[in-house]
Amino acid sequence: MSASNIYLPEVAVLERVVDDIPEVKTFYWRFEDAAAQAAFHRFRPGQFAQISLFGAGEFPASLPPSPTEKETFFTIRQVGSCTTALHRLKAGDHFAVRGPYGNGFPMEDYYGKNLTFVAGGIGLIPLRSCIVFAIENRKRFNRIQIFYGAKTPGELMYMEDFGRWEKAGIECHVTVDRSNNGWTGNVGVVGSLFKKPGVSVPVANTTAFVCGPPIMFRFVIKDLLALGFEERNIVSTLERYMKCGVGKCGHCCIGVAYICVDGPVFTYDQIKQLGEDI
Amino acid sequence: MKALILDAADVTKIIDLLRDGGYEVIAPFCGRGRDTYFDVVNGGNIAKVQLHLPNPYYPPKRFVFPAIERLMTARGGADQLDIAPAYEERRQAIFGIRSCDVAGIGHLDRFYLDREFRDIYYEKRRRNLFLVNIVCTDPERDIGEECFCLCTDTGPAARDHFDLQLMDLGEGEWMAVAGTAGGAALFTDPIFRKGGPEHIERRRAILERARKQFKPETTSWFPATVRYISQGEILDKTWEEIGNRCLECGGCSYVCPACTCFTVSDRQAGPREIERVRTWDSCGLSGFTRMAGGFNPRRAVHDRRNRRFFRKLAQSFIQRELSMACVGCGRCAAVCHGDVGMPRVVEMIRRAGPPKEAQA
Repeated sequence: MSASNIYLPEVAVLERVVDDIPEVKTFYWRFEDAAAQAAFHRFRPGQFAQISLFGAGEFPASLPPSPTEKETFFTIRQVGSCTTALHRLKAGDHFAVRGPYGNGFPMEDYYGKNLTFVAGGIGLIPLRSCIVFAIENRKRFNRIQIFYGAKTPGELMYMEDFGRWEKAGIECHVTVDRSNNGWTGNVGVVGSLFKKPGVSVPVANTTAFVCGPPIMFRFVIKDLLALGFEERNIVSTLERYMKCGVGKCGHCCIGVAYICVDGPVFTYDQIKQLGEDI
Repeated sequence: MKALILDAADVTKIIDLLRDGGYEVIAPFCGRGRDTYFDVVNGGNIAKVQLHLPNPYYPPKRFVFPAIERLMTARGGADQLDIAPAYEERRQAIFGIRSCDVAGIGHLDRFYLDREFRDIYYEKRRRNLFLVNIVCTDPERDIGEECFCLCTDTGPAARDHFDLQLMDLGEGEWMAVAGTAGGAALFTDPIFRKGGPEHIERRRAILERARKQFKPETTSWFPATVRYISQGEILDKTWEEIGNRCLECGGCSYVCPACTCFTVSDRQAGPREIERVRTWDSCGLSGFTRMAGGFNPRRAVHDRRNRRFFRKLAQSFIQRELSMACVGCGRCAAVCHGDVGMPRVVEMIRRAGPPKEAQA
């Protein structure tokens, strides 16, 4: 990134677009400039980037790839004017990116621990980086389990990844709110998986990662606290309207923190202190 | 710091010195009544520059952080993209900036430059800006009904962040204090002469008199309010009352010398050319935190009022910038239709007192 101008993005080239689930696509890209690409690739799991579609604007987005992977990509739901502009792009098109920003997950702090990931819907996107990083550094971590829920089977993301993760010996538990024909898996909210026969959630020496829509977040937190998790061992990443990503524009400032520079990763006891809705 | 004396008749000659030095000089002028404003000095209007006048409502922070500013231009489109930053560098001097506004720029310096990320647009303007501070001494014209710089410890005489400070000592004499090497460099001009102990004594006496011109009410209440806000001891009822009086116009932010928030938008500048600009924004406006898809974590207006005053007065933010994001200029009090400018809010919070459980 431009060392002198914190707002100036670098030109990026879209390499290919993959349909994920309805309204959600994954955009594989790289910087036009190889040095910028190399500098960017030192990002940490849990960090984010600012994506520019000149004419529409700029928006923050999680980085779903792990730095251990070769390719850089975003997984983006079409929801506003900027994401709509991004969804219109085709392979070979140019746009712009700056980053990485934010604190990211302190991965070293989790060495030797159990990792329990709980994701709802597209909440899996910001956790994917951490999951892949943990799997690529499998020996550094203890037990790894993933609980993932979506509204319908058609809205389950990263299913190819799940296949790979299961093969790598990771416990993956998937559920949907409403089933349809052909679905043989679990039906129910993601928290219901914790109590399923044959499932056990370790609490001692475990960090739980929770990401999903506000309602899911509230219920899962309740379930985890009931299981005996301490608030400081529950981790999430927050989202806010942001313009700059570098602690200047003020939009993401809640409580005593700027989400962009002090976050987006916070422990649940920190989130409670910030005092705003998730 | 070096201090010299000059004749009252020579004070505006400093403008000429600065203009000869290549500065575009901005100075305060008077319109009708309370209407005062900063404008560029030229050969025609220099005689109309006012040394004592009510501080203009439109704050001079715009010379380092403009209300609207071009950040970059992107040429091309999806097939090919070329992004070039847009910098504007010109040497500007503000003659007659008040101590509160000097403190405001000092606060912006720490916010935009002293933290992890440096804002180059701010830096380029600031680096080229020369500040000639005039101390508020005239009880009729300088010190207004809303002024409360005594409570924020930013006036009536600025202690730092100026290049040159001027103070009316009466009897046709002014004192000039250099705050930087650039300010001291002006002292080679023959308009300046050495002063004596009697000048120091006059300065002390005038400042003492000026300090007594401020309304006493909010003065002693700021520290308590900072404590209540920092400790989260303010009743929701108090925030709701403040919120109910807020008309959500954003005016308080736009006149504030210490507000830093901005929004960024793109606009078409040519067939294949997009300009990215930033404009002042306000946490008082409902769209400030609204995300794509419509979710807004800060729904109620009192949440947003709470936000503004928390950001300005909470201890953790004061520690971050080493100064409160309020410089006591009183502009918010002057422009607020609902009378919930800073002094009134401080008063309301202080009157409500800490909640019962905190008192116990």
